[in-house]
Amino acid sequence: MQRRPRARVRRKRTEERSETFPDIEISQQSRRSRGPEHTNPMSRSLLHLPVLALVLFTALNTGCAPDSVDEPTYVAPPGADFMSQQAPPRVSRPSFVDPRGPRMNPNEIPGRYPFYWTRAIYSGWGRRGWGQSWATDYPKGDQQFLVVLKRLVRLNAYDWDNAIRLDDPTLRRFPIIYAVEVGGMDMTNPEVEGLRNYLDAGGFLIVDDFWGQREWDVFEYNIRRVYPDRPIVDITLDHPIYSAYYDIEEVKQVPAIGRAMYPAECYGCVPHVKGMYDEVGRLMVIINFNTDLGDAWEWAEDPGYPLEYSTYAYEMGANMIVYAMSH
Amino acid sequence: MERIFEFLFKYPPLFFEQGDFTFGAPTSVRLWLIIAGLLGAGTVASYTIARGKSTVTERSVMAGLRVMLLAVIIVCLLQPSLILSTVVPQQNFVGILIDDSQSMLLTDENGISRSSFVNDAFTSDESELVRQLSDRFALRFFRFSDVAGRIDSPAELTYEGTHTNLARALDVAREELSGVPLSGLVMITDGADNDNQPLAESLVSLQAAGVPVFTVGVGEETIAPDIELGRIEMPRAVLEGSSLTVDAVITQMGFGSSTVPLIVEDELRIIAEETVELGPDREPVVARIYFELEGVGPRRVTFRIPPQPGERVNRNNTRSVQVEVRGEREKVLYFEGEPRFEVKFMRRAVQEDENIQLVVLQRTAESKFLRLDVDDGNELEFGFPTSREEMYRYRALILGSVEASFFTHDQLQIIADFVSERGGGLLFLGGHGAFAEGGWQGTPVEEVMPVVLGPPTDDPQGFFAEVKVTPTQAGLAHPSVLLGAEQDQVRERWNSLPTVTTVNPISQVRPGATALLSGSGDQLALEQIVLAFQRYGRGKSIALTIQDSWLWQMHADVPLEDQSHEIFWQQMIRWLVDGVPEAVEAVTDQEQVEPGENVRLVTNVSDSSYIEVNNATVTARITSPTGMVEELLVDWTVQRDGEYSVEFRPLEEGEYEVEVTAERNGEILGSDKTYLYTASRDDEYFSASRHTQTLRRIADETGGLFYTPEDVSSLPEDIRVTGAGVTLVEELDLWDMPFLFILLLTLMGAEWGFRRIRGLI
Repeated sequence: MQRRPRARVRRKRTEERSETFPDIEISQQSRRSRGPEHTNPMSRSLLHLPVLALVLFTALNTGCAPDSVDEPTYVAPPGADFMSQQAPPRVSRPSFVDPRGPRMNPNEIPGRYPFYWTRAIYSGWGRRGWGQSWATDYPKGDQQFLVVLKRLVRLNAYDWDNAIRLDDPTLRRFPIIYAVEVGGMDMTNPEVEGLRNYLDAGGFLIVDDFWGQREWDVFEYNIRRVYPDRPIVDITLDHPIYSAYYDIEEVKQVPAIGRAMYPAECYGCVPHVKGMYDEVGRLMVIINFNTDLGDAWEWAEDPGYPLEYSTYAYEMGANMIVYAMSH
Repeated sequence: MERIFEFLFKYPPLFFEQGDFTFGAPTSVRLWLIIAGLLGAGTVASYTIARGKSTVTERSVMAGLRVMLLAVIIVCLLQPSLILSTVVPQQNFVGILIDDSQSMLLTDENGISRSSFVNDAFTSDESELVRQLSDRFALRFFRFSDVAGRIDSPAELTYEGTHTNLARALDVAREELSGVPLSGLVMITDGADNDNQPLAESLVSLQAAGVPVFTVGVGEETIAPDIELGRIEMPRAVLEGSSLTVDAVITQMGFGSSTVPLIVEDELRIIAEETVELGPDREPVVARIYFELEGVGPRRVTFRIPPQPGERVNRNNTRSVQVEVRGEREKVLYFEGEPRFEVKFMRRAVQEDENIQLVVLQRTAESKFLRLDVDDGNELEFGFPTSREEMYRYRALILGSVEASFFTHDQLQIIADFVSERGGGLLFLGGHGAFAEGGWQGTPVEEVMPVVLGPPTDDPQGFFAEVKVTPTQAGLAHPSVLLGAEQDQVRERWNSLPTVTTVNPISQVRPGATALLSGSGDQLALEQIVLAFQRYGRGKSIALTIQDSWLWQMHADVPLEDQSHEIFWQQMIRWLVDGVPEAVEAVTDQEQVEPGENVRLVTNVSDSSYIEVNNATVTARITSPTGMVEELLVDWTVQRDGEYSVEFRPLEEGEYEVEVTAERNGEILGSDKTYLYTASRDDEYFSASRHTQTLRRIADETGGLFYTPEDVSSLPEDIRVTGAGVTLVEELDLWDMPFLFILLLTLMGAEWGFRRIRGLI
């Protein structure tokens, strides 16, 4: 629950990231390793001094003047010609090009991509708009998650964030949705009905980043409005979701940024992965409780964020998506 | 007409057809012609020279009439005659073949049965026909239905034969009488052959032996009013729970365009009923009826139209069909090149179908696969099958969005062979890696596709279009796209489904392929082919060019209780595996026979690579309805690779189970089970009208004649003239034909009359 300070940190980190972009580093490195044509002209002139002295000495002793004092005598090492041919005529600092595809036109029917990472917009406490709990880590967390996910899984996914209201009929075009910080959830009746219809039709809900008994009670109250009697059960490690893509052997408590030393955001909370099944035993809701996968996805590139947790979060994210797209 | 001819020309027309014309005058014809020429010239000259009040025209007419008169007299003086070969009385045999089948008991409109003609003409002591035949020939009687044989007298006929085989009857009679001088065969029948044995071979043998067949057609050419339930088009084996689409051919005569109910019964339980609108007289209509069969095992399905008021024949209103409901799980491999929601929703659609095992192999990263619903850890352990044995374990293959370059050339060839040689079903789904966009042009699999691949789009964003799907005319009659709706509501059902999308612009099917669903949309320049199929080798291939059929389940416009998506995929996969052959397949040449009738069991044997095996040991274990077991060795037929056959004769009435097992060098290649039903048949009541065309053909091709009961009285004399056997040559005078005298008198009278009119007398 560090939304406001996190927003400030996010802006700072974004700036840092653009300065330390790996591609740019590689380019700078390449620039430093150019061939002999790009050695310092001053160093070449210093090399000429003993050569000129030798020429003068020879001329004085033989009475013959040299044809040209500018004749180079430098012998290139093996391979130098090849390297010089590879060098571009001008080297400039490369500009950053966004590798992501274009954003979807607001009027465009989705479907060009097989997968859209979709965030559920639900009514809740907090300020209007992005200040509400549904928008935690949005949109950077979603975009960053997609960048890494597409490197890990052969997924032809839309590169951008995609947030949809639960009572929007378009929601049914996205069979996986992600709801975050549901401890601040307070769904309206149309949203309850929209979510119920969505799940009944075959949709899959991933819930994340809520902590402690109070937030659990809030979430349970809301999900009970959707399914009053459907049990919420622990998803134990023998469930196929833990091996759908990566083999996960332990449920970890993923901390928010800045909480690596004390991951739990509530006293004595332990992480849980729970789920809700439909009437024929198909998993349709997965609940990541007392853990914050979303922050790990968002801050995975932060040197200060523990690799152990970001790795687990991405593994869990890949597994949930591969599982939900096939079951 | 024939009597007038005989009066004028002294002999019946048949004599002139059979005989050779000649002149009996002692000197040469040339001399007579010279004489005739001279007389004619003299006549013309006398008329030309004569002078009087007559004009040139009048003299020409009179000269012409006189020359014709002289010509007729000259012809008479030439003694024209007919040389005819006739059989020697009492030195030749005639075989009389009488139809002994049940259809001979059918009554005509006048209330007289067909058999009564036989009784009157052949069994009565006062029969003029038998007396005349007996005077000229030695008679030998045969009866025929499904079998044929000699009888001493037509009184032995029982009319209990349950089907008719004309060819066999002709063969038996010809062979029995091959050692005696045979003038001909007389065949009395309605001509309704329901054994489907071709006649050509028997007729050629009769032609070679010079034996004419005289056919006597009994019965009416049209039975009215009557309704006949003709052919039933239904598979012999279906998967349990499959929705069956069966075509029934119904013909009527005399009922006009009325409607009748068509009822389907399974073990006396009505499982479907359809109202059928009858077509015009004699014009068959095809009634399509849908139903499901419950339970596993052999079933006897009866199709019935209740007898209509005044209907002449009721027993041709019912047909029974033997069908085996198979309970095994059909294994289908679905290979998907990337995580897609099609996998999830297709699995959901068929997960409750116990007869389909949808094995999913999904590529989730390079060389990393997710396997679902495999039998064990070894199945598809190394990804997509690399050998025929591994691939051919499946009965169908679904290829999702996977680019052609993923496969090795051998794997591509295996996919093509899977359809053409193994006979499997192959379904291509749309997607970024499918069709032209997946680089499938020029691969061995391209020609398996039922659609024509265009060049991939040059748009860097790729092609993308919304598609509104509608069934084509062919699709409206195809069970795979009916979505469980009544036939007249199929189009509305599809219209109610939301639009889907495609990334593969395809607008053309291959020659021979059929489009079942098409699509239109604003972004489509041409109509999109959405669903098409074709036969390819032993199997079939289907293309579904959309990429998100799951929207028919998920879209907000689709009610939650709507089952269109589930039905579509269940039907699609069942269609995909329908008719896919096994390595060992047994089938009997008939699904129903009568007790004692021979049955041919044919077994096709292949190994696990579906290469035909000729050195297998094939045994058939036949279990009768009472549990008697007979084991037979099934032999290789030699004519065809992998084909084995044996004949057996079921004697009991009821259901026979035939289990065939094939092994080679101690290794079991496979086994199969088929069923046979033995019962008396009602075939004689179908197409029971007189088949005049068939009977005329038999007579014409053998040199005989066709008769009806009304004109059969000339048969003895006709056989005398046209028959084979021991014959003698007769010379019949023609100069005294009444026609010649009438002609003479007419010419004389004409000249006299002409003179009177012109005042030249």
